[in-house]
Amino acid sequence: MSLHLLIKSLLRRKVVTVLLLVQLAMTLALLVNSLLLAGQTRDKLNEPTGLNLPHTLQVQLKPTTPDLRVYPLLGDLLERQMAAVRALPGVQAVAYANQGPVRHGGNNGNLFDADAEERTNIPTIPQYMVSPDFFAALGLNLVEGQLPVTPIAIDIKTPSPLVLTRSLAEKLFPGRSAIGLKTNRAPVAAVVDDFFGQSEATKETFNMIQVAPLFGVDWGYALLVKTSEGSTEQVRQQLPDLLRQVDANIEVFYVRTLQEQHQQLYSDEFGLATLLGILSGLMLLVAMVSSYSNAHFHALKQQQEIGIKRALGASKQLILLELLSENWLTTAVGAVLGVLCALALNKLLASVISLEALNWWLPLLCSAVLLVCVTVATWYPARIATKVSPATATKTL
Amino acid sequence: MEQFLYYLKVSWVSIKRAPLPYALTIFILSLGLGVFFANATFYYQLNSDPLPHKSDKLFFPMTLMVPNECRDCQPPRVLSYTNVQKLSQTDIPSAKAGMYSADGYLRLDTKQAPTPVSIRITQPDFFKMFEVPLLHGSIWADDKARLELILSKPTAEKMFGRSDVVGEKILLDDRDFTVVAVLDDWQMLPRLYDANNGGQLSEADQVYMPLETGYDFNYMSNRQSHTYDYTDYRQLSTQGRTGALNQLQFWVQLDTEAQQQAYRQFMSNLVADEQKAGRHPSAPNNQLVPMRNIVSYFGGESADIKAFALVTLLFLGVCLFNASHLSLNRYISNQYEFSLRRALGASRGQLQQQMLADVLLMATFCCVCGLLIAWGGVTLLNFLWPANSLFGRWDLTLLLLLLVVTFTTSYLVTLYPSLRASFGGLNQQLKE
Amino acid sequence: MIQLKNLSKIFRTELIETHALRSIELQVNEGEFVALTGPSGSGKSTLLNVLGTLEHFDEGDYLLDGQSVKGLSDSALSKLRNEKIGFIFQGFNLIKDYSLQDNIELPLRYRGIAASERKRRAEQALELVGLAARRDYHPSQLSGGQQQRVAIARAIAGQPRILLADEPTGNLDSLMARQVMELLEKINQDGCTILMVTHDPDQARRAGRQVQIVDGQLSDAAMYDPLAVKRA
Repeated sequence: MSLHLLIKSLLRRKVVTVLLLVQLAMTLALLVNSLLLAGQTRDKLNEPTGLNLPHTLQVQLKPTTPDLRVYPLLGDLLERQMAAVRALPGVQAVAYANQGPVRHGGNNGNLFDADAEERTNIPTIPQYMVSPDFFAALGLNLVEGQLPVTPIAIDIKTPSPLVLTRSLAEKLFPGRSAIGLKTNRAPVAAVVDDFFGQSEATKETFNMIQVAPLFGVDWGYALLVKTSEGSTEQVRQQLPDLLRQVDANIEVFYVRTLQEQHQQLYSDEFGLATLLGILSGLMLLVAMVSSYSNAHFHALKQQQEIGIKRALGASKQLILLELLSENWLTTAVGAVLGVLCALALNKLLASVISLEALNWWLPLLCSAVLLVCVTVATWYPARIATKVSPATATKTL
Repeated sequence: MEQFLYYLKVSWVSIKRAPLPYALTIFILSLGLGVFFANATFYYQLNSDPLPHKSDKLFFPMTLMVPNECRDCQPPRVLSYTNVQKLSQTDIPSAKAGMYSADGYLRLDTKQAPTPVSIRITQPDFFKMFEVPLLHGSIWADDKARLELILSKPTAEKMFGRSDVVGEKILLDDRDFTVVAVLDDWQMLPRLYDANNGGQLSEADQVYMPLETGYDFNYMSNRQSHTYDYTDYRQLSTQGRTGALNQLQFWVQLDTEAQQQAYRQFMSNLVADEQKAGRHPSAPNNQLVPMRNIVSYFGGESADIKAFALVTLLFLGVCLFNASHLSLNRYISNQYEFSLRRALGASRGQLQQQMLADVLLMATFCCVCGLLIAWGGVTLLNFLWPANSLFGRWDLTLLLLLLVVTFTTSYLVTLYPSLRASFGGLNQQLKE
Repeated sequence: MIQLKNLSKIFRTELIETHALRSIELQVNEGEFVALTGPSGSGKSTLLNVLGTLEHFDEGDYLLDGQSVKGLSDSALSKLRNEKIGFIFQGFNLIKDYSLQDNIELPLRYRGIAASERKRRAEQALELVGLAARRDYHPSQLSGGQQQRVAIARAIAGQPRILLADEPTGNLDSLMARQVMELLEKINQDGCTILMVTHDPDQARRAGRQVQIVDGQLSDAAMYDPLAVKRA
């Protein structure tokens, strides 16, 4: 089929063609960007966290009476709670912490090498006050140094020494061992594996931990529970009642696996990706309806022309191919425009949400999807159009 | 009227002649409108102004008065107790209130299970500035500490089973308080006074406590707090009142341009004096943000809703193009009839009236289908973004707005095709 | 060249069956100019459509160049039409958005002929019908007679063995009709077999042979007499 005749045929229906092109371009733009966002969200959900997400539980809770919120009653409450949880079958380790990992923000502070404040100050690092089993509960391996074993308050003359995650230690004391070195808070006692702390921290894997009594529980505190593989769900079911049995004057906000916590963290992105996905599907549907109706009405209008062509020796397949080619051409032009629109939409979206730049293959993939959809939608009306009887069609007034 | 009914009948007959293209047009237009409506609902509600007559008179002042030097910094979005006191020491504002929110547990006696509540710890002017309706009792007379609470109506009803509970005793975190007032139903949406904490999307607090009492009892903010020195946040009543522990919001009401000017001047004088006294090293950076701009100042606009708004607008565009495409095709296939009518003496005006009848019919269908889809969309959005769920409501203004949009789009979708059909060359069409 | 053996065609609707063609026996030799005449609704056009393979028949057989067209696939029939048969319609049936050149090239395109050759042949055909100067015109810019000449050019550009013309002068005034007839005669003299449906007795007489159809049957007077042609 000749390209210039195809183009002529499209130009003859300028308005309709322009409408279709605009629509195809917009569909492609949206499709590309939703897939991009979906992929990005999936990547985030699959990123390594350094934690055993599915088998670590986090209970967020708070004492409901003021005296239970301060030591010594608070210390006693924590011991009783941890002892009860530890006794549950399937529990491998339990620890308290002022906050759990895998969060947006929370309790954090700055940290610098005591000898070089100007140069090394890191403004936002999650600050954990935990019981000694915290490392076991999260399954963190010791990289160097020695983990503290007894809680020491952080606001006294010789405060509880620091445990840093590996990336933080390397950032703060590059090229040397951090053990024993002084910071603005306390000397470093140990370095452990990286884990996902807070997404709003200077870096997600930067964390500083002190084995210490809880400084305050106005925002509640967390119990972190490591379970054996098969018993997570069972432990989770038992936890709220068990904790209330230990002491009724508590409010349990939630019990979650860290996996759920992680998903929660990206729920907004997930929501947007889902919505854009649904919308892309709808757009494809709309594009298909459009191609269908376009082919349908076009063929109706073209009955005579198709009849003439049939009389002149065009086979049904050739007519079908001709009608499909017209749509392919439109789709191809629409796809080219669509890539430009996709780039523009990508820029626009990136100005309100965090979105990667476009790669080269996604537009190609989406164009292919669009092409398939358009072909499927054009097929039926085009097939019907080829059945025009040339004898009837050529008999005009 | 009779003529109008006739036009409607003609439209109906023409629909019945080719129901599929018409159904597709309605489907596509409704889809575009429905998706657009669903998002527009949130967009409209989230960006609505809860106090339109006052939102340019209430201001959130901020200064860069912190102990450590910070170059090119924005002032902290929460204020320290001392800074609020300093910013309050003037008669320029018509009203002023420092405040924050905290968590607590309410019960009538120690045997009862505690009920978790959110407490707004504030000053009397808060109720005046944000026009909080009072049902029973009276607001605290001054800013002094007192063991007196104000309850929201649902909280009073929940705790006591009735709303008129002025004078009743109640335990908040096991401390004795007296209820001095009960608020009437009140839900300021969005809750712009909490925008510095990103809290504008959540529900109003249930219990109200004097600011000084909150500090006396060491209530920590449940939103955000920053310390710029070594203040121990467990010692709010002492260190918290003097140190650089920032957790307060501060609002002033400045009714006139002159007041605003004067307050700005007051702020810069204050900051200059403080700097001279060596209490803060940073270059001054004063902000006086009107409530109207508070969300955008703090960058609290919901990015997802915004992004989705962009995309739904695009989708509506696509659907519009598509629907007009469909209806163009439909009209073209009816062109013969149009021409015939004109040959039989229908004026262009009459054909246009016929077109209006078409528009009316289409708008009606689209409205119904669009609202159904929108309802589904709102439900889905609430499910995916529960944080915005307070905003998925339809009010009369919104519905009217949606109605106008539907008619406009239906008109647009019908306009070009029908113009083309009725203004085309009469002769040529009949010949065809 | 063309041989119809006991060919019948029936149009069926829910209520009635119409015998459009009944047991037609017809033979047309290479180089003949046959005029098909008959009253309206007698089946002339149906016969022409069957001959052009635009319509199927129900009984009998149709041999083209000694080969039966029965049971040929759509694409085979299309190829046959494209290569052997040229059509001229009463309503010209030019594609109105194509230029004259594009219109004439269309059947050549379907045959897969290269662009330069297509162009040459189209120009040649336009030359023959005297419209070479207007090859970039569109059909609507031409008079009816000119349009029919373009249609003829399109029909002969593919160098068909048979030209089927359905009242080619039906929409034309007498002057233009004469020009078209002269053109057809010239084409016939060049060796192309022509079958033409016509109402006009003068035109019918100008053809080498007249075949009359009445009620879907060839009338007796016009039964084939091979010797008649040779005598003429």
